Amino acid sequence: MSGRGLTGLSPWGRRLVTAACLVWCLISIFPLYWVIVTAFKTPPGVVGGPTYLPFIDFTPTLQPFIDLYQGIRGAFFHTFLNSTIVGLSAAAIATAIGAMAAYALVRFEFRVRLGAGLAFFLLALGGYLLFNITFGFTRPQALLLAFPVALAAAILANRLPLPGPILGNEDILFWFVSQRMFPPIVTAFALYLLYSEIGRLGFQLIDSFVGLTLCYVAFSLPIVVWLMRDFFEAVPIEVEEAAMVDNVPSWRIFLGIVVPMSMNGLLATFMITLAFVWNEFLFALFLTNSKWQTLPILVAGQNSQRGDEWWAISAAALVAIVPMMIMAGLLSRMMRSGLLLGAIK
Amino acid sequence: MMRNDPIKHVFIWPAVLVVLAISIFPLIYSLTTSFLSYRLIPPIPPRVVWFGNYVSLLQEPRFWNAIYTTTLIAFIAVGLQYVIGFAVALALNARVPGERLFRVALLLPMLLAPVAVALVARMIFNPTMGPLNQLLGKFGLVNLPFLTNGHWALGCIIAVEIWQWTPFVVLMMLAGLQTLPEDVYEAAELENASAWQQFWGITFPMLLPISAAVVFIRLIESYKIMDTVFVMTGGGPGVDTETLTLFAYQEGFKKFNLGYTSALSFLFLIAITIIGVTYLALLRPHLEKLR
Repeated sequence: MSGRGLTGLSPWGRRLVTAACLVWCLISIFPLYWVIVTAFKTPPGVVGGPTYLPFIDFTPTLQPFIDLYQGIRGAFFHTFLNSTIVGLSAAAIATAIGAMAAYALVRFEFRVRLGAGLAFFLLALGGYLLFNITFGFTRPQALLLAFPVALAAAILANRLPLPGPILGNEDILFWFVSQRMFPPIVTAFALYLLYSEIGRLGFQLIDSFVGLTLCYVAFSLPIVVWLMRDFFEAVPIEVEEAAMVDNVPSWRIFLGIVVPMSMNGLLATFMITLAFVWNEFLFALFLTNSKWQTLPILVAGQNSQRGDEWWAISAAALVAIVPMMIMAGLLSRMMRSGLLLGAIK
Repeated sequence: MMRNDPIKHVFIWPAVLVVLAISIFPLIYSLTTSFLSYRLIPPIPPRVVWFGNYVSLLQEPRFWNAIYTTTLIAFIAVGLQYVIGFAVALALNARVPGERLFRVALLLPMLLAPVAVALVARMIFNPTMGPLNQLLGKFGLVNLPFLTNGHWALGCIIAVEIWQWTPFVVLMMLAGLQTLPEDVYEAAELENASAWQQFWGITFPMLLPISAAVVFIRLIESYKIMDTVFVMTGGGPGVDTETLTLFAYQEGFKKFNLGYTSALSFLFLIAITIIGVTYLALLRPHLEKLR
């Protein structure tokens, strides 16, 4: 098998490879087929043992979906709406500010002193301990006070001729992407504690739209910056240079020229982010409890709530899956046009 | 050409601020909490214990069990994902008939919610109503304990991980294969190199950088595994399939043992960093040889 074709293979080898692909494809599809047929079964049709073909093996029914819509198994309609609202807004915000940052990293030069970065972390930590222990502020108050102080000090320190290496755009990009390495449980658990302490100060963040969306935006940004950087690098710089000769301000170059030229990339990034937020489980588990619960939590809960009612569980799983199936179709059309090629270089 | 315009700060700061706020706040918060003995239930005022939490964690067999389980799942699943995914990518790249259909089918699993996938897996592995046991029953294997025996349950979780994430490997390797230059293969053909030699001599080494990246991403992501296990086995039977994230969730959210859980998540962070750095260090000589 070479990289460009099955040239070295006999016709039989070719058939074998095709057959193997077909087998993997069947393995990929079968569970989906199974959840779809099960969702249309009646309770006796499930308990009686596996059946495969509608109208031949069993009589399909819409009852599981009617039950779902009527809210017999939890406020499904409401939760679906939550997932949609949070997903769309988090993906839109993340794509917008992530694209801006990616563009800045591609076209402008940044220099950050390592010393300033270290100073920021140490001042934030020290300031937090100082405000909390010495001055007796509550923990979230101390953090909120220490953060701007440390940030301001770090920006000032960046102008001083500190010793140590100077970090450039590549390092800033690496910092963004490395946020994905973080085990989310570290953040999820700490955010839960922090949100609940802020809640005691009178600003509700747990089980709220703002709290959940903010956290999803932060966790999608690394992917957005990483993907968008490649799309922006593909935009020919001559177009931008021509605009600069005419003294067009940078923000108008970005909005008027660069964004329209990389619309496909923005759209793909938006959809990937949306899929990520739509499917996310851990943060939703920690940060919501009823009002802003998202679909994965409700779907996972189906299991334990009323036992093995597979017909209803299938219908619930299907509701969570179908929007992403549609997206897979759309994405695969974009993939064919070689769009995602650039994303991996 | 790099421009220098003060407006660059407007472009980059929103993203930097959000990521800084959501990553630095919790980091400082849980770092300081990990040195405290701090419980919400029963509510005892926090007390400084320094490394007490870390010491008791390192002596806790359940912690080591969780590390072992997570490592096992991550390494076996990612290894098989890579082998299967690379093979499928090679086949798709060779223009097998029906390639377009395959592509949609291949993209699907990784876009689906792991929670929903795990529920479907539970149905398929169900001993009485599931299709898998019926199929195996025809071969004389009746009622295998898919999710009720520790070893079988681990195998099932790994199978689900492979099912869901092999497409990611296929996608990346396929993109990599399409960037390979034609002329190298033409030269190899003139030398009468067999397909097997071409693969090990050209394709594999040229795709090593992208392979390294793919395996790295999947390995780090696999260590975070939680939703699949949560739904499929809940960590059971016993603690046979309990992963690190699940263990932290049980300690933190069920027992509200805050200091202990913070220490646990920091050990987790350290472990991930060690694995990442070791992986990159091991691979670096191979990657540099190619340049």
